[in-house]
Amino acid sequence: MFRPLLWAVALGAIGAAASAHHSTAMFEWGKEKTVDGTVDKWEWTQPHTFLWVMVPRKSGKVEQYGFEGMSPSWLGRRGWGLKSISRGDKVKLVYYPLRDGRNGGFYVRVTLPDGRTLEALPQRQP
Amino acid sequence: MKRAPIVLASTVAALALAALCGCNGAGPNAGSAQKDAAAAPAAAPTPNASAYADLAKLPDWSGVWEPTRMARPAGEKPPEPPKLTPAYAPKYAAYQEKNRTTPGINFVSNVANCVPAGLPGSMQQPYPIEFLFTPGRVTIAIETYSVVRRIYTDGSPLPAEPDPSYQGTSVGHWEGDTLVVETTGILPETAPINGILGHSDKMRVTERIHLSAPDVLEITTTVDDPTVFVEPYTFTAHYQRHRDWKIMEYVCAQNNHDFVDEKGNPGFSLERKPGE
Repeated sequence: MFRPLLWAVALGAIGAAASAHHSTAMFEWGKEKTVDGTVDKWEWTQPHTFLWVMVPRKSGKVEQYGFEGMSPSWLGRRGWGLKSISRGDKVKLVYYPLRDGRNGGFYVRVTLPDGRTLEALPQRQP
Repeated sequence: MKRAPIVLASTVAALALAALCGCNGAGPNAGSAQKDAAAAPAAAPTPNASAYADLAKLPDWSGVWEPTRMARPAGEKPPEPPKLTPAYAPKYAAYQEKNRTTPGINFVSNVANCVPAGLPGSMQQPYPIEFLFTPGRVTIAIETYSVVRRIYTDGSPLPAEPDPSYQGTSVGHWEGDTLVVETTGILPETAPINGILGHSDKMRVTERIHLSAPDVLEITTTVDDPTVFVEPYTFTAHYQRHRDWKIMEYVCAQNNHDFVDEKGNPGFSLERKPGE
């Protein structure tokens, strides 16, 4: 989903009563981290899309990461869809990490195997 | 042969349903269903063809309307801050300060648990809305949380003490090309403005809705509740028309990983769906 409060602060454009789905307190919002992995599942669902990615560690162990993203309501009107990402896709993800250190966060950019990059935040739209 | 009673039962059920719904052209029994419907006493006048024809005189609000919260029209001043009563002013000031220093951090409400926003917050959501005109009614379908608002424009008055609900009870009338909507009966635990939770059961919301440009809808909203506001608080929002968009389904409980715990702290679940 989108982050109206952040937009509002950045752009000074909000009047009143704007409601977000939830706080962004769980994420280190704005702090970009990058991870490479293999898509285990792409969930094209409300109120958020969700991307489960398996990430190989140096130790050889593979760990699961969970990433929340914008909603189909937002992404669907900007060219994304159920078919945009498939299980098994090798992706590079830029995300805002969870503050508590668990494996996951909010994805903001996804680079697909064919080199296409999906920008997933309103602030990054051209 | 053992199945016969079930078949019979379902046929009877289908006939009963056809009679109840009064559906036109619904199979061979449609005629008798129509007769039954015609015989039943009418609870309210049925809109006739001219009532539908009259809808053509209303302004064209067809299409889907996207809130343009990012872009304030050139020259428009930023909104004045609300003037709040001593009971609410310190809470709002603290919220504003936290919002300034740590954007997004402190916005925590039951909305994270998929409980929809009440009016007027429901009209300020990120996703689009649409308007449907039928005789005596304007219906607003809000994509976020799949909220529906029913605005009675048939001249009926606001009830004195409506049962409280998230969207309240609304009546409306046309002043030229402007729809004026009055709403009361909004659940007191909802947010009258962002950053404040709770208000009295007397809160009244007035919306003036009109086209400010061919594809721009302007809604000026006044929220009146003396327990919260020293004077009625007015703000304006704009919506951009997209004729080629469709309202999408929005079921918040489908895959919600966000939550607010019992202490009001935001949380995030990394549990996968059962069976995976």
